[in-house]
Amino acid sequence: MINRNLLFLPWLLSAAAIGGCAEVQPWERGILAKPQMALELYPLQTELRSHIYGSREAASGGGASGGGGCGCY
Amino acid sequence: MVATKPLNNTPLVRESTTLQALTAAALLLPGLAAQQPVYAADGDEFSFQYGRYEEGKRDLGGIKSTLQPIEVDSLQSSGRVSLADRVKFAFNFIQDTWSGATPITTAPSSRGGNRPYTQFNTVAGASPLLKDIDGGAIYFDQNRRPLNSFLDGDLGERVSLGVDDRVVHTMSVASPETRKEGNFKLSHEWDEMAIDVGGGISVESDYESRFGNLGARFDFNQKLTTLAIGGSYANSENFSRLSPHFTKSYINSSAFANQIRTLNDGTGDSVILGDREDWSGNINLTQVVNKSALFKLGTGFTHSTGYLENPYKAVTAFFIADVNAIAEGSVTDPDSGFPVTIGDFSSTIPYVGVARAFLEQRPNNRNQFNLTTGWVQHIAPLDAALHFDYRFNHDDWGINAHTFEGDWVQPVGSGWTITPRVRYYSQSQADFYYQYLIADMGSTVSTGAIDPGDNAKLPTQTFSSDHRLSGFGALSGGVMIGKQFARGLRFDAGFEYYTHRGSLRMDGVGEGDYADFDYWVANGSMTVNLSTLGRTLAESGHAHHALHHGAPLPAGIFCNGHMLEKADDFMMGYIYMYGRQDGAILQGSRPVNDATIIANGCEGGSCRTVPTFMNMYMHMLDIMYAPTDWFNLMLMPQFMDMDMNLRQLSGVVPDTKTYDHLHGGHTTGGIGDTLMYGMFKLFDDGQHHVNVGMGFSAPTADVDIKLNRMHGVDGGFIHYGMQLGSGTWDFKPTLTYSGRYDDWSWGAQINGTTRMQNHNQSGFAFGDMVQSSAWGGYNLLKWLSGSVRGVYTTQGAIRGRFNPIPGDCIAADQQTKLSCADTNPQGGTMDHPQNYGGRFWDVGLGLNAMIPDGAFVGHHMSVEWLQPVMDDVNGYQLERSGSLTATWSYMF
Repeated sequence: MINRNLLFLPWLLSAAAIGGCAEVQPWERGILAKPQMALELYPLQTELRSHIYGSREAASGGGASGGGGCGCY
Repeated sequence: MVATKPLNNTPLVRESTTLQALTAAALLLPGLAAQQPVYAADGDEFSFQYGRYEEGKRDLGGIKSTLQPIEVDSLQSSGRVSLADRVKFAFNFIQDTWSGATPITTAPSSRGGNRPYTQFNTVAGASPLLKDIDGGAIYFDQNRRPLNSFLDGDLGERVSLGVDDRVVHTMSVASPETRKEGNFKLSHEWDEMAIDVGGGISVESDYESRFGNLGARFDFNQKLTTLAIGGSYANSENFSRLSPHFTKSYINSSAFANQIRTLNDGTGDSVILGDREDWSGNINLTQVVNKSALFKLGTGFTHSTGYLENPYKAVTAFFIADVNAIAEGSVTDPDSGFPVTIGDFSSTIPYVGVARAFLEQRPNNRNQFNLTTGWVQHIAPLDAALHFDYRFNHDDWGINAHTFEGDWVQPVGSGWTITPRVRYYSQSQADFYYQYLIADMGSTVSTGAIDPGDNAKLPTQTFSSDHRLSGFGALSGGVMIGKQFARGLRFDAGFEYYTHRGSLRMDGVGEGDYADFDYWVANGSMTVNLSTLGRTLAESGHAHHALHHGAPLPAGIFCNGHMLEKADDFMMGYIYMYGRQDGAILQGSRPVNDATIIANGCEGGSCRTVPTFMNMYMHMLDIMYAPTDWFNLMLMPQFMDMDMNLRQLSGVVPDTKTYDHLHGGHTTGGIGDTLMYGMFKLFDDGQHHVNVGMGFSAPTADVDIKLNRMHGVDGGFIHYGMQLGSGTWDFKPTLTYSGRYDDWSWGAQINGTTRMQNHNQSGFAFGDMVQSSAWGGYNLLKWLSGSVRGVYTTQGAIRGRFNPIPGDCIAADQQTKLSCADTNPQGGTMDHPQNYGGRFWDVGLGLNAMIPDGAFVGHHMSVEWLQPVMDDVNGYQLERSGSLTATWSYMF
C-alpha cells in the first residue's frame, strides 16, 4: 500500500513550478498554437485506443466523464 | 459486452481547445496570422472514424482451437456545432460489433479444459470443457500441485508421472454482439472560464449504461495556467443471459441466486441481474512553461459499487480428498470410466479431485485513484513536438499500475504529419486473482449436477481468474499518419501493435506465459471543419447557389440523385438507414399458418423455426467530388449491423436434450459493401435535371459469418439475410429526373442492381433488383419542403446456396450426433434461397431542409419514412414494417 499523501506531492511541486515559469506574452505563443503542440491531436483515435485499453487492462477510468459498456469480451 | 472506458478522453471539446483558444488571441495579432495557418481546432466540425481490432490466437498448451480470436469493428461519428456565439453542442455516436473467442476460465493443463474433437478422423478443433464428464478425476501431490498420471494396467493402480504446473485458459466463443452509444456535451465559454454539461447512454443486448457529467475550466495568470475540474456519474444495469446451452448447465451461479431470474420467453434461459454505480471526479492543470513547452498534471478518483463482476468469467475450483478417504463411487476414473475405489492408487498419488466452475465473485466496491502528468515540448530544429505522459493508478483491489507513453509528432510538409508512438503499461495483480481454487471435498461430492452447497466449501468468497486482474506488462507501438487538405478536410490513419506478457511486468514477475496474447488495431478517420467551410461559402456566395441547387429530393432516393454543379465542388454526406421486418409470415401476399410453413416453407425438409423480427441498420458515408461540371465521382463506404430473433413453429416438438436450437437471437455487424459511382449530367436547364449514374458495388463485406459450435454441433453459415453484403461485384445503374417550378418539385428515378458474378465466395448470389419511384414535393417554408413518393421494387430469389460445411450435426431424431457433409442450418424459412426476393410497393413521406444562412449555412438534411403498402414475396418470408432514411450533407 502506498502512502496516499505521496499523491499530493506532485501538486505541491507543480505549485512551486508555476511560480517559476517564464512569462510568455500573448504574441510569443505562436509555437504553442501549432497543431503538433495540441494536447490531443488525434481525439478520435485516442478514444478508440482508450476504449480498448479499458477492456484489456485493470487500470482505466478515473476521468471526468463516465459511462459506456461492460468490457466483458 | 464491450468495454467502454469512461469518456474522460472524449474530445467532445478537444482538450487542446483551451490552449488553442488562448493562442488564437495571439494569432489575431497583426503579423502572426499570416505566418501561422489557422488550424480551426475550436471550429464546428463533423468527423467519422472506422476502427478494426484483431487479437492473435492464444496458446492453449498445444491444443489446436479453431475458434477465431476476438475481433471488433468500431465506428464513430461525431459533430460539433455552435448554437450561439459562445455555446457549443457536441455529439457522438459510437458503435462496436465484436465476436470471437475469449478465455472463460483457467485450469491446470492436465485437466484438459479445451477438449479436442475429431471430424472425419482428424482433430478439427477444441471445445471448452468446464465441468467433469461424469465426475472424472484429477490428481494432486502432497502440496496440492496437479499431477500427470496414468493407469498402470499391470499394477492395477494409478501412478504419478510428476507435477505438471502448466496452466491453460479454457476458451469460449462469443456470438457477434453490438454496442451502441450516444452522448452529448453542451458547453458555454466566457473570457476566462467555461462550463460544460454532458450525458449519454450505451446499450447492448445484456448491458445498459446511462451517464452524466459536469465540468468547468478556469484560465488564470494571463491564460498561462488552466485548471479544469470535472465530475461524472454512471448507472449501469447488467442483464446477462445464462443460457442452458452453456453457462447455466456448467457453471455454479448459486452466489447470485437472488439476482437470477428465469425468462418467460420460452427459451428456458435465465438472466443475472446486477446494477452498478460509478462516481468519479478529477482535477487537471495545464501550464505554459515557456514559449515552446507545456506541462500538465491531473488527479482523479473513481468510486464504483454494485455488481462489478464480468458475468462471462468463471473460476475453476478443484474439490479434493485424500485418496484413501473418498466416498465409494463418487469419483470416476477419466481413463477407465469406472468409479475409483480406495486402493486404486499408488503411494505417489495422495489426493484426488473433481473440477467445478463458479461464476467469478468480486468485491462489491472499488476505489481507484490516479495521477497523470505530461510534458509537451517543441523541438525547434525539426519543428516537431514530443509528447510524454505518465499515469499512475492505485486501487483498493490491490492493483497498482504505471503507464508511460511517448509520441513524436512530426509535420513533414504539404499538410502531412507522422506520429510514431510507444506505450508501456505494467500492473500488479488483484488481491483476489487466482489461477484456480482448491477446496476440500468434504464427506461427499456432487457428481454432474451443480450443487449450491459447493460454494460454501470454497476457501474464499472473492475470486477471479480474469487475466485483466493478473500481474502483467504490455508494450505497444504504432504510427499515426495525418493529412490536412485545403478547405478544412483532414484524413488520419493509424496502426498499433500491442503485446501483453506476464514477463513484461515492471518487476519481471507476472502471470505465466499461458496468458500472453497480442492484438493489432487500425483506424482511419475523416474530419470536415465546418466553420472554415461555412466562411468560405458565405464569402463566395456559394451558399445562395447551394440553396437553389437542383430540386429537393426525398432522402431515400438512391445515392441522393443530385449532382454537384460546379467543377471542383466537394460534398460530404452521411446516410443512416433503418429497416425492420416483423409481423406475419407471408406466402406471396397472404399470411400463412404454422402448419403450412412446416410442410412447405423449407425445401427438402420440414421447417422448425421462423424469424420473429429482423432489424437492419446501416451507416453510410457519401463523399462526392466534381472533376467537371458534368461529371461527379462518388465513394460510399457502408457499415452494417443487423439483429433478429427466431421462434419455434407451433407443432414442432423440441427434443429433450439441449441440442435443439429453436429460439434465440443473432446479431452481426461490420463493414458493408462499398459503392463507387460516376454520375453524368445529361440535361439541365435550371428547371429540369436529368442525370445517369454508373455504379459498382465492391464486395468488401463479410458473407461467411457462421453460427457458433454448441454442444459439439457445428453451426454452419448464419442465414443469407444476416450476412453483411452481397459478396459479389454488382453493377448499379441509375437514371434520375427532377424538376421544379415555383414552390413545387417532382421527379422520378429508376435504379437497378445486377450481379456480375454467378456466386460469391460462400456459394450464392442475391437476386437482381430493379426499383422505380416517382415523387412530388412542396416548399412548406423557404428552407423546408415535404415530399410524397411511390416506390415499386422487384428482386429475384437467391441463386445458388451456401457451400456445404462438413462437420458434426444432429440426426433427424434431434438426439443422435452424426458427421455430416453439410452442417448449414436448414430448419428455418430464412435458411432457404427461394425465400428471398419478391415484389414490393411502398409509399414514402419525407422532409427536406436546406439551410440558407446563419450558423448552419450549407447544411442539407432530409428524412423519409417508407411505409410498405403491399408485399408479394417469393416463397415464405417475414412481413416488412417499414424503413427510415436520414441524411445529412454538406457541400463545399
